[in-house]
Amino acid sequence: MIAVTARSLWAHRRRLIATMLAVGLGVAFLAGTLLLSDTLRANFSRLFTQADAGTNVVLRSATEITSGPGGTRAGLDASLLPRVRSVPGVADAQPDLEGYGQLTGRDGKPIGGNGPPTEAANWIPDLALNSYRLVAGRAPRAGDEVVINRGAATAGHLTVGETTTLLTPQPLRVHIVGIATFGTADGYGTATFTGMTLPAAQLHLAGSGSARLTQILVRAGPGVRPGELAARLRAVLPGGVQAITGTQLAAENLDAINSGFLGFLSTGLTAFAGVALLVAAFSIYNTFSILAVQRGRETALLRALGASRRQLALAGLAETLAIGIVGSAAGWAGGIGIAALLKAVFDGFGFALPAGGLVINAASAIVAVTAGVVATVLAGLVPALRASRRPALAALREHAAEPGRVSRTRSVAGLVVVAAGAAAVIAGAAGGGEGMTAAGAVGTLAGFIVLGPVAVRPAASVLGAPAAALRGLGGRLARDNALRHPRRTAATAAALMIGVAVATMFTVLGASLKASAAHGVDRTLTADLVVDQGGYGGRAGLAGFSPRLADRLSRLPGAGTVTALSRGSVLLGGQSQTITAADPGRIGAVLNLGVSAGSLGAVDAGSFAVSSTVAADRHWRVGRTVPVVYPDGSTARLRVAAIFGHPDVTGDYLFALSGWRPHAGQALDGTILIRLKPGVTAGPARASVTAITAAAGQPRVQDRDQYLASATSGVNTILGLVYVMLALAIGIALMGVANTLSLSIHERTRELGLLRALGQTRAQARGMIRWESVIVAAFGTVGGVILGTFLGWAVVRSSGRATLGAFAAPPLQLALFLVLGVLTGVLAGIRPARRAARLNVLTAIAAA
Amino acid sequence: MTELQTRTDVAVRAEHATKVYGTGTTAVTALDDVSLEFPAGQFTAIMGPSGSGKSTLLHCLAGLDTLTSGKVFVGDAELGRLTDRQLTLLRRDRIGFVFQAFNLMSTLTAGENITLPMTLAGAAPDRDWLASVIERTGLAGRLGHRPAELSGGQQQRVAVARALASRPQIVFADEPTGNLDSRSGGEVLGFLRGAREEFGQTIAMVTHDPVAASFADTAVFLADGRVVGVLDRPTAAGVLDYLANLETAHPEEGR
Repeated sequence: MIAVTARSLWAHRRRLIATMLAVGLGVAFLAGTLLLSDTLRANFSRLFTQADAGTNVVLRSATEITSGPGGTRAGLDASLLPRVRSVPGVADAQPDLEGYGQLTGRDGKPIGGNGPPTEAANWIPDLALNSYRLVAGRAPRAGDEVVINRGAATAGHLTVGETTTLLTPQPLRVHIVGIATFGTADGYGTATFTGMTLPAAQLHLAGSGSARLTQILVRAGPGVRPGELAARLRAVLPGGVQAITGTQLAAENLDAINSGFLGFLSTGLTAFAGVALLVAAFSIYNTFSILAVQRGRETALLRALGASRRQLALAGLAETLAIGIVGSAAGWAGGIGIAALLKAVFDGFGFALPAGGLVINAASAIVAVTAGVVATVLAGLVPALRASRRPALAALREHAAEPGRVSRTRSVAGLVVVAAGAAAVIAGAAGGGEGMTAAGAVGTLAGFIVLGPVAVRPAASVLGAPAAALRGLGGRLARDNALRHPRRTAATAAALMIGVAVATMFTVLGASLKASAAHGVDRTLTADLVVDQGGYGGRAGLAGFSPRLADRLSRLPGAGTVTALSRGSVLLGGQSQTITAADPGRIGAVLNLGVSAGSLGAVDAGSFAVSSTVAADRHWRVGRTVPVVYPDGSTARLRVAAIFGHPDVTGDYLFALSGWRPHAGQALDGTILIRLKPGVTAGPARASVTAITAAAGQPRVQDRDQYLASATSGVNTILGLVYVMLALAIGIALMGVANTLSLSIHERTRELGLLRALGQTRAQARGMIRWESVIVAAFGTVGGVILGTFLGWAVVRSSGRATLGAFAAPPLQLALFLVLGVLTGVLAGIRPARRAARLNVLTAIAAA
Repeated sequence: MTELQTRTDVAVRAEHATKVYGTGTTAVTALDDVSLEFPAGQFTAIMGPSGSGKSTLLHCLAGLDTLTSGKVFVGDAELGRLTDRQLTLLRRDRIGFVFQAFNLMSTLTAGENITLPMTLAGAAPDRDWLASVIERTGLAGRLGHRPAELSGGQQQRVAVARALASRPQIVFADEPTGNLDSRSGGEVLGFLRGAREEFGQTIAMVTHDPVAASFADTAVFLADGRVVGVLDRPTAAGVLDYLANLETAHPEEGR
């Protein structure tokens, strides 16, 4: 039986290549994902271990304001240093003070373009405790001397001996005296680093007159174990100060990256790989179904000669196993290329991933290949079993064909599943929770797939109408051929449908996010001009302008009200929250916050305003007091002074600048809002604002419409990434359409020959097959767009978040999907059509 | 089959038609210098044992296959000079086909199958002509049915109607009764004969059935790729006798 199976595989090798390719592509994507994750994890691990290699113990505040990688803690008092240094076993202890420092390149533009973090810190003279290594020049000695990392130097075309501007955020003229590397890398990812003397760092990076440090780095003396030293230090340190070993810190950082960024990345990528594999599975299922039918007589002959059902089923299993293994192994090899490609894609979209060679683990190979083999076998098993169950004589007698009819059971079952799924989705959207929506979504998808063959007839009749109208008989035959095997057509289209549905869902989500943001900003913003830096740093309060910039802008002749929004993080009622601080007396002139209780004017150093959503969630009313921990570690109780309904620009918490600034460290204004005097036009005013802000790192100066547009631009980046990921799944679906068509053509050789004998031209033959391909593709695309829009709607409705308050289905983009779907059909039809047109008429007829 | 026929009265003509499959030692000569004329308005049967080259001859005459040497004319057109596209259009517009089996498009109705060549050409059928052809099939009431809903004989009559519908210069029929029982076969042959009688349709039919040949005006006998005899106004018994004589007269032709 094995020999028979091997022969059969070999005989059908050309038809199976496409199947293997489908498996291979799906596995390649999965393998690439796993490889990339492993590689990044290894690179991050190396980076952290390297950086903290010489640091044996780290002292830091126990108060964590924000967690995760790059999380912030309250500071430490510099007065701790002498006490730490006096502990036996401490060889050296160095203060570390980190803050925001934006370097400008030789062209005057900020290095890094406001994307990655821009760190400034004191240069630590004890090289064992310094993560950076000098590779050129020397350490800074004077207050205006700095060392910068090699990546920043290269990007900004800066060298030792040059003078440039550092924004902290006040512009400082600094002399570059040294170039450094982070371990052996050019930098910590693409983050820029500026090292200065400790006095300079205390002057520019810490808050006004504060002696607070980010952390203290300790080197152990010879023979002293880090764990032991940490324990000794803990004994002498005041409460609220932690001592952990360098190894623990590296592990903590790695954990944070794994559960945060890397976890997010690999979960997302694996999901897309899953979509690709699912699509591939449909293609495999279809190929095997068609092959099983085409080989019906062979199978029947084997049965008649005494092969048992078990033997036939086992043969089928062996066949799919062989294809799964070969395809998956090839896919695994291809995954190495995909990993490199994925990294390039992420870099292209502006994600900075650490460099380093590919890490190849046995675990990822096993996972990827197993997933591929299991998917292939599962998809191939059903047709194999079905073929083995056919009565031998029936198969010998009948002309081989799949059932053309669709059973009533299927219609009923499909409708029930779709109805139940949709009902769950709607219930979830109406408040039943996201879990219910997700379960309903899976049900709806399954129902769509079950119902597919039922829908083929009406759908193909409608979708084929233009073909019949435009192409006459060829178009009609194309439509009838698409209808001939509803199950086959539906399974082919289902692969495409899944890909398109996911793309549509993300598109709808993206559009809804944009619409929600645009609507929110539109109702809130009353300023005429907005100055900000864009990027993540500005929003998180990690970057910004000097408060002097707002002062200078307010002296412009056309300026009415100028208000700065400063952002940062606090622990509020025990939870880490991002807050906005502003001048409560002026904010009403630039933002319509929709105050529903209390008054903004009442917000002062001892109180804050909160959004109505949060107030409702936490049952806060005006007058309620809430404990707060500021970034410098000081605590207070703040009173709720106002509740507002429009948190779209400020976020949920609004503090008074007077209460915030003393505790915030470096004074950074993230956004400056400008309301012009009546009669002043935005155009000229914008020019004069830009002239002033240019020296502050050339930030964006936008009018209302531009700000509205830019508030949603991040969505486009994510969507772009999603489309790239889905392109592969859709490519696999396209191959599936082409493969099914090729197999169908093989089956219809005689008919094609007859048509050609009766005078169908080659062009007509090609057109007929292309139209069939287009009808199948259009069927899948329409199904996908409908399903995706519905699921997108459900997610928007069930999220309950203000950032996703409005549902929007962009008609233009969805129409574009339909057009692309049709083009996919044309593309998939090219090769089968060419093959059909090339058929030798005589041999085609003789095939009888 | 007379030498007196003028050129314009000949529907299809083969001149020194030779067809060799393969090369070298494996070469097989399917047609060996065949020269033959099919007079317009005549029903000609091509007969011969298996492997005599009768099907190859039909395919070459119809432009489905090409000759190794020699010429085939359909009307004035020499097939060897035509491009693939011109050949396709010639088949569509000037030739009718009836095959042994798998003659109809299963997704089209009987009526649609009949007008298929005209639909492919984008031409409107001649309504009156079509009506008279359909009337002769005796299937006027079943035009909306799909082939699967018709008997074998009915299907073959639809195929004949299709071959006649575009008023081709010649209808080629390749064992049209090969898959049918004798009653259904008789109906199909009667239909073909009627087309010759009433419409003056030129027909060339390949068959190995003496009864089928008896419906023709002339029977041409092939053996080993050569024309070995012609019988005018054949009868079934006459053909059988003729075949028996051929066997004894040319025993070495079997080589």
